[in-house]
Amino acid sequence: MESNKKYWKGLEEYKNTPDFVENNKNEFAEPLPIEDVLNEAGLSTVTPRRDFLKALGFGLGAVTLAACQTAPVHKSIPYLIKPEEVVPGIPNYYVSSYNGQSILVKTREGRPIKIEPNPNAGAFNCGTDAQAQASVLDLYDVSKLKSPQLKSGNSLTESNWSKIDAFVKGELNKAQASGKKIRIVSSSVNSPSTKAVVADFISAYPNTKHVQYDPISYTGIIKANENSFGKAVVPKYNFDKAELVVSFSADFLGTWISGEEFTSQYIANRDYKSLAKGKMSRHFQFEAGMSLTGTNADTRVPVKLSEEGPALLALYNAVTGNSLAGASLPNNTTADKVIKLLGKELLQNKGKSLVVCGSNDVSTQILVNAINSAIGSYGTTIDLDNPSKRYAGNDAEFAELLNEMNRGEVAAVFFLDTNPAYDITNTKSFTDGLAKVALKVSFADRSDETASLCDVIAINHNYLESWGDANAYEGYYSIVQPTINPVFNSRQAEESLLIWSDNPVKEYYTYVRNNWEKNILPALGKEWKDVLQTGVFAAAAKPAGAYTFSQSLTAVIPTIISNSKALAKDIELQVYESIPMRNGKHANNAFLQELPDPVSKVTWDNYIALAPKFAEKLGFKEFDIVSITDDKYTIELPVLIQPGQAQGTASIALGYGRNKAGKAGDNVGKNAFPFVSFTNGTFKYATTVKLTGTGKREELAQTQTHHSFEGRNIIREATFKEYKKNPAIGSGNDHAKHKSYDMWDKYEKPGNNWVMAIDLNACTGCGSCIVACNVENNIPVVGKEEVRKRREMHWIRIDRYYSFNVEGGEDEGAHGSGHGTHGSTGINAVTKEKEIAHLDNLDNVSVVHQPMLCQHCDHAPCETVCPVLATVHSSDGLNHMAYNRCVGTRYCANNCPYKVRRFNWFNYWNDSRFDNYLNNEFTQLVLNPDVTTRSRGVMEKCSMCIQRIQGGKLQAKMEKRPLKDGDIKMACQEACSANAIIFGDGNDPNSEVSKALRSERIYYVLEEINVQPGIGYMTKIRNTDTTVQA
Amino acid sequence: MRDISLIVKRVWKSAFMFTALSVLIVSSTQAQDVVEGRKLFKDNCSSCHQLDRNSTGPALTPKLTELDEAWAVKWIKNWKALVDAGDKQAIEASKFSPAEMTAFPRLKDEQIKNIIAYAKAGEPKKAGEDPKTEAASEGVSDFSIAGIIAIILISIAVLVVLGRAIKMLERLILQKQGVVIVEEENVSFATGIKGLFKNKKFVFFFILCLVISLGSFGWMGMWNTGVHTGYQPVQPIKFSHELHAGTNQIDCQYCHAGAFKSKNSTIPSLNVCMNCHKSVQATEKYDGEISPEIQKIYSALGYDPGTMSYDKTKQKPIEWVRVHNLPDFAYFNHSQHVVVGEQAIRKEKGLKPNEPVCFACHGPVDTMEEIYQYSPLTMKWCINCHKDTKLDVKGNAFYDKIIEAHEKIKKGEKITPAALGGLECGKCHY
Repeated sequence: MESNKKYWKGLEEYKNTPDFVENNKNEFAEPLPIEDVLNEAGLSTVTPRRDFLKALGFGLGAVTLAACQTAPVHKSIPYLIKPEEVVPGIPNYYVSSYNGQSILVKTREGRPIKIEPNPNAGAFNCGTDAQAQASVLDLYDVSKLKSPQLKSGNSLTESNWSKIDAFVKGELNKAQASGKKIRIVSSSVNSPSTKAVVADFISAYPNTKHVQYDPISYTGIIKANENSFGKAVVPKYNFDKAELVVSFSADFLGTWISGEEFTSQYIANRDYKSLAKGKMSRHFQFEAGMSLTGTNADTRVPVKLSEEGPALLALYNAVTGNSLAGASLPNNTTADKVIKLLGKELLQNKGKSLVVCGSNDVSTQILVNAINSAIGSYGTTIDLDNPSKRYAGNDAEFAELLNEMNRGEVAAVFFLDTNPAYDITNTKSFTDGLAKVALKVSFADRSDETASLCDVIAINHNYLESWGDANAYEGYYSIVQPTINPVFNSRQAEESLLIWSDNPVKEYYTYVRNNWEKNILPALGKEWKDVLQTGVFAAAAKPAGAYTFSQSLTAVIPTIISNSKALAKDIELQVYESIPMRNGKHANNAFLQELPDPVSKVTWDNYIALAPKFAEKLGFKEFDIVSITDDKYTIELPVLIQPGQAQGTASIALGYGRNKAGKAGDNVGKNAFPFVSFTNGTFKYATTVKLTGTGKREELAQTQTHHSFEGRNIIREATFKEYKKNPAIGSGNDHAKHKSYDMWDKYEKPGNNWVMAIDLNACTGCGSCIVACNVENNIPVVGKEEVRKRREMHWIRIDRYYSFNVEGGEDEGAHGSGHGTHGSTGINAVTKEKEIAHLDNLDNVSVVHQPMLCQHCDHAPCETVCPVLATVHSSDGLNHMAYNRCVGTRYCANNCPYKVRRFNWFNYWNDSRFDNYLNNEFTQLVLNPDVTTRSRGVMEKCSMCIQRIQGGKLQAKMEKRPLKDGDIKMACQEACSANAIIFGDGNDPNSEVSKALRSERIYYVLEEINVQPGIGYMTKIRNTDTTVQA
Repeated sequence: MRDISLIVKRVWKSAFMFTALSVLIVSSTQAQDVVEGRKLFKDNCSSCHQLDRNSTGPALTPKLTELDEAWAVKWIKNWKALVDAGDKQAIEASKFSPAEMTAFPRLKDEQIKNIIAYAKAGEPKKAGEDPKTEAASEGVSDFSIAGIIAIILISIAVLVVLGRAIKMLERLILQKQGVVIVEEENVSFATGIKGLFKNKKFVFFFILCLVISLGSFGWMGMWNTGVHTGYQPVQPIKFSHELHAGTNQIDCQYCHAGAFKSKNSTIPSLNVCMNCHKSVQATEKYDGEISPEIQKIYSALGYDPGTMSYDKTKQKPIEWVRVHNLPDFAYFNHSQHVVVGEQAIRKEKGLKPNEPVCFACHGPVDTMEEIYQYSPLTMKWCINCHKDTKLDVKGNAFYDKIIEAHEKIKKGEKITPAALGGLECGKCHY
């Protein structure tokens, strides 16, 4: 048993005084009396020998006795009355949905343990994002409240539902009688049943209004579409129909609207199947901070936040031939050049291209609409008639709510799935206003920043305990069904609202069912039980109309230009939604906290990203803590040097700095929401700040540093142009290979040969595979300190490699001496560290993401060095790891060329030092019972989900049928929206993976050392064109 | 030790059964129809009816005593016809429970009358069969062991006494013959041993023996550390597999259904027990009281046999003690062995056709009064079986390609799980 307490020898250790630190450097506190022992008297003393023998005798006896224990008494407790559908040991799957993604919930013995995408969802089956994968951990969060809370005196205390109902109803009646306002504040609601419940509540209390706002707002797009086309919607974007995608700071593969869905659409035109047909889309990204989408772009142009407006104006001019004023980019000639060429290309691809913009400014979005109209996007790549319903927030309504509250007009307010005390710009105005509201009810599941200020916390179910539905797109409905009985004394928020509004239907299940049977199912011609089985229904999509932008731009241009000028005054700060943390709602999810940011690879923190040259100019080094100030808010964050960041700009991720999220999420990073501003009716995520050094320094917990390339030929890439001429270009398959010699006999793999192919062109680096692997394989979360020591346990990681696009050999040092350039690919990539040091322009970098996991080498170097045969090869091509044989020499990890072996330095699931994750019996319910938890002192690594392989084989054996391709899927593969990971039997020539491995693009990482890896990678292809390329 | 006590137990039990049966036969000759009625009752009625209390159906002794026999016969034969005919008494009676009674048109009137006679007479009291004898038979094993030991001790004592007597007699005879008896030097025992230890050869031999015996003892002990063959913990309910699987021939699957679908064989939940034990209460053995062991099921479920209702607030799961403990890091799947590998395992272990495949590892469960661990469950034990067993893959298309590939490489070699990679670490350890 690991220690569950913290021990310290004295106060000086606890306080870590300088004296202590100094003394601690010596191995021993006092000099050892070695001389005394070794002199004659010491050697001739009698007692030590006798004591030694006594101790030896006692020790031996004790050990012998301890070993003589009888059989362990293990209790085995069966169900009292077993539910019919449960067979212990066999998982059940239920369809549900998470945040509009249709999912399958895997349950074992009644516990949800894994989220998988729903194969019934058809075109809407787009894998799952990291949040969906990690969401199962939220159910087992110990920081949640166990019973509802009611204010008594000055503090919230545990209460029961009948008291709360009486209190809330009483207050509501008072509010209604006084004629004051009642407000339900929520994030965007697309659930038809929740909407109906709110509508019923409003009819019971007519003073009520439903205010929706999202911390990451899309009001700009909604308002712009209302202004341009009379449709206040977020349109449906069809990236699969776009052969040319231009994005202005929209991280559409990551966080923008619905990343997993856009990824799946976008990749359809870029993956190995599309390339085999000779088709590949083109993608231009203009942005300040390096986003996930930016790293995947064919051409990425860093532009300042203040240049975004002018750049869009320039693009508008280029596609329409107009010459609007303000379209000049005097300080960014590259962008200027690219945009002019891009204009022509967009016109060539009329109806097959798409321009998106991440701005939440209405004027900017109106301009984007004008551009899209000019290039014929409406009706093809943009569909306004089957709009997305994920976001419906209205920033202005929320701002008005703050005013109403501060004027004392609001008598009752309900917070559903929202946390304004944390995630709005002006929290003070909110808390002041809230103090004037008589009845404050939060439906949070924990006492979060907002809930702790309320009178009632009517704790809501987790979505895995709830009934519900979602309507992510017009006509596309999915169901949410419970997969476990409520763990705590919680009640679904909708049910609470039904009870408080005296609805005739009090049970939310009945309400949802009635609503579906009355309003949704008849139109689809389906029955309720069909819904429970398939989980999703899509009505036939309406034909997408071709809309034409016919408004005048004269009203919007001055706003765009003045916004731009306001930003250009000082250091331009962009606050953005990060991939792991998103808007901070799931900050207490340790899986997400430890998921490295796809670009910076930072975990457990946010930081201020600065371009290398700009940081140098300001006098900051990496990890220096700087103070960031705008006129009303100051935070201190460490600096991260981010190649590709636009000069003169800085980026900070939102979603950090929560202080009432729970054990894992409290005080991780700093809150950047106060930098959001409310101007011109919408939230703006750009501002100007001043940076001052603090003299302090803090190392960020990164899983990968910048320069780990070491000049090896790990990443191979080519341009699409070259690929069309020679598909094998860059992969090394088009010329004679390095001669290699075998020291070992060939392994026979008579039955199956489990192999994998990874398409580097499809992988966007989003990290959802990492979380899926964590959940599937019980991978521990190690925390910030351990990550700093490079001790993260992820079995699959995504390596991010920068390379530098150098124009025409103007810098001999940067060109490399043939070492880093990949044969005849034409891409000049700089890979040597000393060359990097010579580069003065780190703005123009390109990035490749490479998922790296155990390669299951046939001639595995780890196997030959293990002294205890703990890691051995199997006859189906896998590299097995027997944890109980492992004695922890770590030779294997040293000898692994891919560095994928992870060592358990601690019993992470039973050690008080890692108290943010599995250190309690409740959270341990999330563990997959088919995979063991590893103990301290053993090595572990990707097992190729061997439990899934064995399970799939057994299933086929029981059904007496041959194993089919696709029967067995890896957790990472299943979660992937981009279908970048293909797994299967290499001995079956018709399997998907065999076909993929026959691609000319396939290469094996470090194939020259002849370890014969089982995972093939496909070369990264970039659709860059010298005529347009920056 | 268990074996001896088991044997003794069994001997006592059969002797007891014999007497009980003979008593029963003697009594049964006097009331032939009651005995036949009892048999018919057990076969047809007992799943829903008790004699002395209501269960699914009403208590039969009071009910049938009160009813007119002719009417009762008609009711039992086809109660529905009576109801349809508008018999008021029948309509009233059919309201007893929503569960419909089975009609028995195949029973002859005479048979039904026998049942009624049995029901009226109640369970025949058998001579000497009161619960105490049952308890006594439990205590017998200890008693008999003590007896055997006593007999051995007494016979040793007798032998010693007899030996002394013979020596005395011999001396007397010799004295009479005038032989002078030279008294043996009265060397004390202690000095004798001392003398022995001065003998270096003896000392060497003695130490050698000591080392060999201690060494082999230690060696065996080490090998068996953590092996719990024969582990038979005390269970919270004295459940007899001998009775259920042996005497009553209930299929293993009936309770351990998971073994055929899942990795877990699953201990049955109590609703499975209640399928039978709602009516089987073994009252005849406990003087009309419900068996205390069956009562434990009821208590765990909060079930009141009188009102036949469940009280959820009193429910408490039964904490069985796990008998078969595989190491945590070994993955074992029952269905793989019970369904996929059934034929191969049967052949390898030489099971009779009527024996379930489970016996291959769990031993003769049908003779185990309380379950114990039959196999060592060590890795060596697993591996030996995987090495020796020839796969029987006939009719399982899963194996077609694999066997084909195997044949190509190792023609003619026996196809065992080991040959197909069954000995690789990761196949069971993940």
